[in-house]
Amino acid sequence: MVKSWKPFFVTILIVLVLFPFIYLLLLSMSSGWAFPQIIPSNFGFDNWKAITQSEVGLFTALMNSILIALTVASIATFGGFILSRIVAYHKQKNSLILISYFPYILSPVVFGACLSFFFMKVNLFGNMGGVIIAQLIISLPYALIFFGSFWNEKNRNIENLVATLGGNKIVSFVKVLLPLAKGLLLVCFFQTFLISWFEYGLTAIIGLGKVQTLTIKVFLYIKEANFFYGALSSCLLIMPPVILLYLNKRFVFNRMS
Amino acid sequence: MKAKKAINGFFFSFMLVALINCSQKEEKQQTNWKEASWEKIEASSENTEVNFMMWQGSPVMNNYINNYVIPALKEKYKIDLKISSGQGPEIVQLLMNEKQAASDQGQIDMVWINGETFFQLRKIEGLYGPFVQQLPNAEYIDFDDPFISIDFQQNINNMEAPWGISQFAFVYDSAKVANPPKNLTALTAFVKANPGTFTISNDFSGMTLLKAFLAELGGSPNSLDGSFDQQKYDTLSNQLWQWINENKQYFWKEGSTFPKEHSRMDQMFASGELLLSYGFAEGGIEEKVIQGLFPKTTRGYAWKNGTVLNSNYLGITYNAKNIAGALTVINFLLSPEAQLKKADPGGANANTVLDMDKLPEEWQKKFQTITTRQYGPSLDELRTHAIKEPAPEYMLKLYEDFRTHVIEK
Amino acid sequence: MKISEPMLLKNRGNIGILLFFGVIIMPFAIAFLYALLYSFGLVGILNDGFTIAYWLTVLSAPQLGYSFLYSALIAAVSVIFSVGLSLFTVLYLKKALNKPFINFMLYMPLAIPGIVSAFFTYQLFARTGFFSRLSYQLGIITEAASFPDLINDQFAFGIILTFISLLAPFFILFYLNLYKNENLEALERVAISLGANPKLATLKVSLPILLKKSQTVVLLYFIFLLGAYEVPLILGQESPQMLSVLILQELRQFDLNKIPEGYTMAVIYTSVVSLITFFIFRSQKNKVIHG
Repeated sequence: MVKSWKPFFVTILIVLVLFPFIYLLLLSMSSGWAFPQIIPSNFGFDNWKAITQSEVGLFTALMNSILIALTVASIATFGGFILSRIVAYHKQKNSLILISYFPYILSPVVFGACLSFFFMKVNLFGNMGGVIIAQLIISLPYALIFFGSFWNEKNRNIENLVATLGGNKIVSFVKVLLPLAKGLLLVCFFQTFLISWFEYGLTAIIGLGKVQTLTIKVFLYIKEANFFYGALSSCLLIMPPVILLYLNKRFVFNRMS
Repeated sequence: MKAKKAINGFFFSFMLVALINCSQKEEKQQTNWKEASWEKIEASSENTEVNFMMWQGSPVMNNYINNYVIPALKEKYKIDLKISSGQGPEIVQLLMNEKQAASDQGQIDMVWINGETFFQLRKIEGLYGPFVQQLPNAEYIDFDDPFISIDFQQNINNMEAPWGISQFAFVYDSAKVANPPKNLTALTAFVKANPGTFTISNDFSGMTLLKAFLAELGGSPNSLDGSFDQQKYDTLSNQLWQWINENKQYFWKEGSTFPKEHSRMDQMFASGELLLSYGFAEGGIEEKVIQGLFPKTTRGYAWKNGTVLNSNYLGITYNAKNIAGALTVINFLLSPEAQLKKADPGGANANTVLDMDKLPEEWQKKFQTITTRQYGPSLDELRTHAIKEPAPEYMLKLYEDFRTHVIEK
Repeated sequence: MKISEPMLLKNRGNIGILLFFGVIIMPFAIAFLYALLYSFGLVGILNDGFTIAYWLTVLSAPQLGYSFLYSALIAAVSVIFSVGLSLFTVLYLKKALNKPFINFMLYMPLAIPGIVSAFFTYQLFARTGFFSRLSYQLGIITEAASFPDLINDQFAFGIILTFISLLAPFFILFYLNLYKNENLEALERVAISLGANPKLATLKVSLPILLKKSQTVVLLYFIFLLGAYEVPLILGQESPQMLSVLILQELRQFDLNKIPEGYTMAVIYTSVVSLITFFIFRSQKNKVIHG
């Protein structure tokens, strides 16, 4: 029999997957790692203690990221659900969905640069409100497209049935549609949470670097060549998605497709 | 003009969010801070937020700001200093956009700038002032020193406050290089003998290096003095691009690309990938040796024809929300206490702009004891080889032409 | 009973569509219009009225063209490698991939955003990075400079590697799901029972179906990569640059009189990307894709 290479490939796959996580974690605990040392000269939790020091601003960045991502996810999921219904029932459905892809597919930095004038005009520049609205500009279309398949014939018929049976809009929405969509809503919530959580371009431009999220911090540390704090903030950035994955794989997959 | 306004108005009406926001245009009472007493300024900056846009590419400066300035301001004046990252073009663009959006509530109160940005900000009238003479700590600054009161051949006219002064210096490891090059001929020989160990960063450090080269090609330390001379620039820069293009095959990565950030050059010097580096703050050697990034044998020197000695400044934006706060912060940054901390060789290691002769004696002593460097050269040692910053147009043109004549070639 | 539109919605239809346009289309539209006006010198405090000079400059200089070509090449190479790699993994290892632990492992990379991935690539492959240190310790190289040039390099090795590390995990999961949903295992079994050999069944039956069904998603990812910013900013070289990096650099340059050129580039980029998107969906007319 020919020896199978499969176990070998599977092992490589697992190593490739785990390596970045382990490496970044170790890097975040290191300091004084000059070339060509293969092992850092200092190792411990000193860098991690920096999170608690307010001056470094990592804790604030973490809180900002959480606050922004939760707000964006809530509004985008709810708004996207409603908008997707409007679109699904529209005669020009396909064209509308196509248009919805545009804001989502553009480079966020270029988009942000062209939008910044308007954000300035209405005092939504350099503050958290502006960053939230800017991120909604891309996460809402995402949510809209995401819910596209929910409004299939079956669910439409159920909705119609409720209407014929005399249920009003609110009843049909709260008692029938929301429970039907519960699973999808949850997945969409976490998807949009992650879009916001990982967003850099719009946040940097509309937030002017004043609204410091974790992605902004990672970038700053890379820029000043402070790799240990860079790794530390990367770890903070990766943690929530890993937890979400652990809870339910579906929360994290689907993103960007 | 009218058409422009109409277009702006057209956009404005489009913004949905505008409806929510435009109602909040409160009439803020305009205090004339130029007439106000210093006590009043300090008092009204209490419990306010000041937004400071600065270049964040230097870890030691970031550390100084985050771990000393911010806590000290909080404690002393209850001022909340917020930093955002941005330099030169970003500052100018931001203020240009704010002008265009007619935003009288600027996002940024104060900025860290020098010559070329000062020049552009004045062009778009983006600065508030004059304000420098209002600062109590300005009395310790020697405004007769042309390296302080003249920024890139422009009189600062009290529109920006000097914050630091430093000379551009070359950096090498004396254990690896015995005779570092001090002019272009020697540099040519050096890169040929040590290919791949020299590069030009595509940022203000690199452009300042090019200015030193230009001045040498011009034949004397003063060759670029005076207002911008297009013809002189064309002749000298052509020679410069020719020199670079002829020799860039011996540069880092054969000159196919150049580092974007100076912080990356430091890393490459530390690892031995580069043998010759350079930078402001007399090369920034001291703190990097103390941190263990650079070897103890690292040394710095000036170009034979001279390297640029210049000051960097703090300005207040024309539409600052918190002028009183910005004034208080700038005054604090100029205080002997804050300047001393900034000069700490193990910290930011930046020369003070304060004039020792004007300081009270106790402070003079403190400065003398704390700022002796063990590794890097002192400003006084280099100053004999100092050249003045040429007019800002040289810098702006070099940025542009370095890209078109070298990078994109 | 089959009603395409519930009665209760009828009156609300217009308001709903207005909402749709306000929230989804308007930001895109005004951003585009603003850039367009700026590019013709109609807005911006340093501009003095209509001119096509900026367009002429941008169109006659090779910079933008190179950048398009460079970005498209990087994006294409990255997408092709990612698709190839994930198809191989899925088709070759499909049984193993369904074991719970390994399956979980497949999802893990999705937790890593582009910016972290770029940082990680830099840490590994820079001349002072992990592999360089390893080679030094193993005596393969004697100084950092002799480690191959993999970051900020001419061939965009770092960028492409990072893109693959971001895309391949996604495509593996995508194809794995597709394989299940399209019931390809059953189809392969039919082919085998009809006498095909198992390897051929995979190649001739599953592979074409997977490729066809993933067309739109693959093209969309190509467009995403075309506009990537953080990764090429960290790992790219100074020239040529990828589109977003170039446009941002032009928008933020020192020479204030050239800023409209940046907006011109933004207009061209936006138009091209929108057109490609439009044609992708045109060619797939009645298919509403949904990951």
